[in-house]
Amino acid sequence: MENLDYARLQMAFTLGFHIIFACIGMVMPFFMVVSHKKWLNTRKPIYLKLTKAWQRGVAIFFVTGAVSGTALSFELGMLWPEFMKHAGPVIGMPFSLEGAAFFVEAIALGFYLYGWKKLPETFHWITGIIVGISGVISGILVVSANAWMNSPTGFDVVNGAYVNIDPVKAFLNDAWFTQALHMTLAAFAATGFAVAGLHAIQILRNKRPDLHKAAFKIAIVFGAVAALLQPISGDISAKDVAQRQPVKLAAMEAHYETQKGAPLYIGGIVDAENKTVSNKLEIPKALSFLAFGDFDAEVKGLNDFPEEDLPPVPVVHYAFQTMVGIGSLLMLAALIYFISLKKKSWLNNKKYWWLFSILTPLGFVAVEAGWVVTEVGRQPWIVYNIMRTSDAVTPMPGLKFSFYLYVTVYAILAAMVTWLMHRQIKVLNNSIG
Amino acid sequence: MLYVVLFFTFFSLFLYVLLGGADFGAGIVELFSSRENKELNKLTVYKVMGPVWEANHIWLIILIVILWIAFPAYFNIFIIYLHIPLTLVLLGITMRGVAFIFRHYDAVIDGTQVWYNRMFRISSLITPIFLGMSFGALVSGKIVVTDDYSNTTFAEIFMYPWFNTFTVLTGLFYAALCAFLASTLLIGETEGDIRKMYSRKSAIFTVVLVLVGGAVLFYGYWYDLVFIKEFLQNKISLIAIALSALFLIPLWFAIGKQNRIQTRIYAGLQILLVIFAAVHTHFPRLIITSTSEVNMLENTAPESVMYVLGISLIIGGGIILPGLFHLMKSFNMIRIPTRSGKHTAED
Repeated sequence: MENLDYARLQMAFTLGFHIIFACIGMVMPFFMVVSHKKWLNTRKPIYLKLTKAWQRGVAIFFVTGAVSGTALSFELGMLWPEFMKHAGPVIGMPFSLEGAAFFVEAIALGFYLYGWKKLPETFHWITGIIVGISGVISGILVVSANAWMNSPTGFDVVNGAYVNIDPVKAFLNDAWFTQALHMTLAAFAATGFAVAGLHAIQILRNKRPDLHKAAFKIAIVFGAVAALLQPISGDISAKDVAQRQPVKLAAMEAHYETQKGAPLYIGGIVDAENKTVSNKLEIPKALSFLAFGDFDAEVKGLNDFPEEDLPPVPVVHYAFQTMVGIGSLLMLAALIYFISLKKKSWLNNKKYWWLFSILTPLGFVAVEAGWVVTEVGRQPWIVYNIMRTSDAVTPMPGLKFSFYLYVTVYAILAAMVTWLMHRQIKVLNNSIG
Repeated sequence: MLYVVLFFTFFSLFLYVLLGGADFGAGIVELFSSRENKELNKLTVYKVMGPVWEANHIWLIILIVILWIAFPAYFNIFIIYLHIPLTLVLLGITMRGVAFIFRHYDAVIDGTQVWYNRMFRISSLITPIFLGMSFGALVSGKIVVTDDYSNTTFAEIFMYPWFNTFTVLTGLFYAALCAFLASTLLIGETEGDIRKMYSRKSAIFTVVLVLVGGAVLFYGYWYDLVFIKEFLQNKISLIAIALSALFLIPLWFAIGKQNRIQTRIYAGLQILLVIFAAVHTHFPRLIITSTSEVNMLENTAPESVMYVLGISLIIGGGIILPGLFHLMKSFNMIRIPTRSGKHTAED
């Protein structure tokens, strides 16, 4: 493998790591403040216990997300200096605002974590809400910077230099809204199902079911609502991608031939050399409809794009299938949850808890798959149709060593955080009251 | 707007050196403490720094973001040629951050705590050393900017410029500065003989700081480093350094008296003067490479970008600074454990 491959792997790996921690750090504060509110209203000790347990989770994930985010802000430049040299000034605005939002989050978290019994109760609770809101805002801002890479606007390229820069226009690029909406919902769905799933496992094990059922209820509402809204956002995204990045759409669907009334493929094995897809399920005309709202619309196939501008089709296709498949599964689970609000007997059925236990990691698998679609689907461009990834990479050789270093460190960190969560749950189960 | 951006650049640098530095220093002080004091130090640091801990480090992100948006040419050199020390800094920041949170938020207290503590203390020392080495590399005139790697080796371009006696000395200087800041800050947060311990440490680290600072200047002068030569010829910088040296006297007395406010004011002033002196000498040519000097006022981002950045910084500053101030003020009244006294565990 070349230096470029290692740079891409390192970026993918560190980003993939950061996304999980950032999502949890962004969404969990909402669970925490809901539980906190319930404690303030009811004064039931389980809610206080839960709030404090989740607060520890928030602190751990916030910091892990923050340090991996700091690393990323450097890495963008360290791995892709040519990109940052040109793009930095253009997309700086969302990043500088993100810095501010993140700062607010850190300050609010300082108040929240250390404010028990020291701050007035309502003010203390509000600082928790500020943690959540500023976290979501920073997420949206960062995604908007990424959206610019898919939909670069707000500048002209003259002799390789980026001139006539309009940072506001670059910030509010065509993709920012759809991407930010999709990602925010994904974060809520993934974290909601993951946290609910962890508590479902405890309920199955019959450890403190009162406490874990209360926790499950709070987390799953967020996850289920987000999972039900996600298909709408997915549809908006698909139509947007069809317009802006037709090659990405074609890769997502592994759609080689240009066709009117194109079918939607479900599953399928991609043979990139012979440009065919086998073992797929075809829904006639569905792709044309999903992408353009017209059953007979023409969808441009991969064969009509220059070979050197194609992303690795199988990776994008499989990732897209994974994301959509899991998304549909979570949507079904969300429906099951809402039905169970009427049919209370389901709550006594082990299968119900089994279902949510199994779903625990899946939301994050979908989140990662979604990022693969966005990022790998944009290749070979780092800035779509403007700058190739291979032109952006650092001239420093030997990136394989830094890649191995990061993999080792982050793997250890992931293992440690998992282990810490395990200890938190154990202590929570054994606590009295 | 350029000057608004420059103001925030140096303001963030100053606050990062001061607050982030005090934070790193707390780990260094802990590292160089006796076993019993290590534990007390840990509790003290948690209570004093805990609430502002994360905020202290965001100044680095603000600084980096400003550099890449407003001064892309400057950022480009620093990010390509200092890849290795910056990677080490990042690893240090990561290990330190997670160790801090693990040791305070792990639900179980057992043997693993020893490892978190070790990780925290060691990375607290190593990180500022590599940061200082990176600063040193920027001004030591050894960075070779080139597109042609045929006549040079990896080490010549990516190792020697940041790994040499001068940069090691600047790294040690920054670490000493951190330890000095932390021990001085902590004097005012404690009572009884712990307070005495911190004032003793503060005095020791003041001496170390002055000695290492002297070594940096002496070495640079001896080996004809442009930055140091010009520094020693720049009247205003020299006045700033002289003033900073003068403030050592009242600082010394304040440390002796264990005064909470005066120690902080003098320590803060000294750091401000040292940074001012260093920046003044070379501004606007802050990076000195083997062939050229990179001017911060040239190749900046276009006016439209500076305008938006400046406005964002003013708005951001308007929201953040009062919040940060309120945060620090709110938790100022937290009193720290005394050796004999009880301390309540924080949740």
